[in-house]
Amino acid sequence: MDSKILNSKFRCLLLGLLGLWAGGCASGPDPKAKNTALDAGNLVEITQKMAQSLAAEPRVQEVIQKEGPLKVVVEPVENHLRAEVLPRGPADAFTARLRVLLSKSAPESFTWIMNRDAFNSLRKKELETPGTHLDLGPSPESIQPRYALYAEFYSLANEDSEHRSSDYLCVYKLTDLQARTILWTDKYELKKVAVKAFLD
Amino acid sequence: MKCLIMHFQGSIVLGTLLLAGCQPPGHTVDIDHALNDYFVGDYSHAAQLLRPAASTTDENFVLNNVRLGSSYLAAYDLDGAEGAFLRAYDVMNSFGVNTGGQSAGAVLISESMKVWKGEPFERAMANFYLGLVYYIRHDYQNARAAFENALFKLRDYADSEDKKEDYRRQDSNFTIAYIMLGKALQRLGEDDLARANFDKAVKLQPSLRAVADYKLNAASNVLLVVDYGHGPQKETTFDNAVVGLTPTPRQAGPIPLPRVKVDGKYYELGGLDRPPVDLLALAQERQWQSIDTIRAIKSAVGTGLIAGGAYEGLRRHRDVGAAAALIGAGILLKASSQADVRDWEMLPRTVFILPLKLLPGAHDITINFPQENYSQSWRNVVAPAEGELTHYVRMTRMTNGEYDFPASLAHTEP
Repeated sequence: MDSKILNSKFRCLLLGLLGLWAGGCASGPDPKAKNTALDAGNLVEITQKMAQSLAAEPRVQEVIQKEGPLKVVVEPVENHLRAEVLPRGPADAFTARLRVLLSKSAPESFTWIMNRDAFNSLRKKELETPGTHLDLGPSPESIQPRYALYAEFYSLANEDSEHRSSDYLCVYKLTDLQARTILWTDKYELKKVAVKAFLD
Repeated sequence: MKCLIMHFQGSIVLGTLLLAGCQPPGHTVDIDHALNDYFVGDYSHAAQLLRPAASTTDENFVLNNVRLGSSYLAAYDLDGAEGAFLRAYDVMNSFGVNTGGQSAGAVLISESMKVWKGEPFERAMANFYLGLVYYIRHDYQNARAAFENALFKLRDYADSEDKKEDYRRQDSNFTIAYIMLGKALQRLGEDDLARANFDKAVKLQPSLRAVADYKLNAASNVLLVVDYGHGPQKETTFDNAVVGLTPTPRQAGPIPLPRVKVDGKYYELGGLDRPPVDLLALAQERQWQSIDTIRAIKSAVGTGLIAGGAYEGLRRHRDVGAAAALIGAGILLKASSQADVRDWEMLPRTVFILPLKLLPGAHDITINFPQENYSQSWRNVVAPAEGELTHYVRMTRMTNGEYDFPASLAHTEP
């Protein structure tokens, strides 16, 4: 074989390896990597739909007409997901964003009360940080909420050698704490699939 | 002559690339210091040294975060441990984490160019520790989810062509996750599921009957989780191309059994002292390894190239040069690429799970391994009247001594 051709092939190989070295070195996980966990897009989608549903519920409107603004305590999501961790931050976010949306769209209809855990966590931070005087307002014990807004997330997850999939059922509820009745409930279902790639 | 010199120069560059790759895989001076600090019990300093590396999104992102998680957990910084293990968990549960360049580079140049996600047993342990952090905090829902995920991962590593028998074995041999899943479910009031998971652990390993006893776990108010020994390490052979996990259980010898003293008196463990898992043994099982994935692909491609070269050499109008090049490339591909020797050095050989029933109030607890002269004493471990306090202990040769139980953990809330 002609040495010039060999030479050019060798250079191509060398350049190719250099390219791989430069392209693959010191880079972290691909930002396009996928998993089946609930993400920020799901948070926006779910809470918007739930806020619309809750605001449009005739029974809720009827009670507001009768009793005035509803005193509601917001609880974090209860994690019933299969093999899917839902840390405190996201668990709070999936109900807190709903509260924020309703505060904007119907500020006169609801009085929001901080839940006991969030209050205690803030109080602990305040006590631990010298020099800060965060006004937390009245303690949860001094205000009795009449209603509780919370959510329960369930999922069926499956994983095999080719993909991982999760079918989510997100149930939101507004319950009357005194009457132990559910004033409003709605659900959101979604399926997420992530396909495994080479080296996964 | 000129051509030869050019080839020689090119070979030096190529050789450097092949041999050196990007950097020593997974290690820097700070990381080595952090590992030393960890094994002598200076967990906070280890975490401090690991933090910058763990926040750098490179191919060692997951590895540095599990290292950081181990350090935080041993230092009783549960927020830090949760954050580190969660970052690792997110990537471990994601697919397509390697870019095209990383994948090709891992095959052709150095396997450590790929994003480290750990061997299956390392992934299972990351989920186990994440679950343990939630369990310590009494966040049993998230603990349940993480322990389930530890078991989930094991199933994943059976090939679809595997026989059902292999599947069953894989589904059921990460006993510590079954036990902790049973405990989390028990705390959540899901008694039937809790019993089912305890039963699975016992079915797998009958010596765990005491650890997986439903009543004993229900009555326990202090849970000791004791990491003992060193987990498997990756090793290359003479040609730097084949990697294995060492030592084997036979090389390391039997796992010594712990003894526990409460307020100076021996606590009757009654079978609780059996090691629930041996990571050295687990790592020798095929379904717990993924280290030969790349090697198998390279071998197949290399064989294809050699076969192609042989065919070219046998043709009537053969091109001897091309045939030699194909065969040479095939042989090189089969032998090339530095093996990925990155591993999670902090992993223990086993995790003892010791549910104790103590009188409510403060106790001094000593855990020792008489055969090895390992001993740690913890003052003021407060057994609650209701619920269960979980105390994680990392035992190494260099961490003997007396310690105060962190007061902040006495009333851990989710």
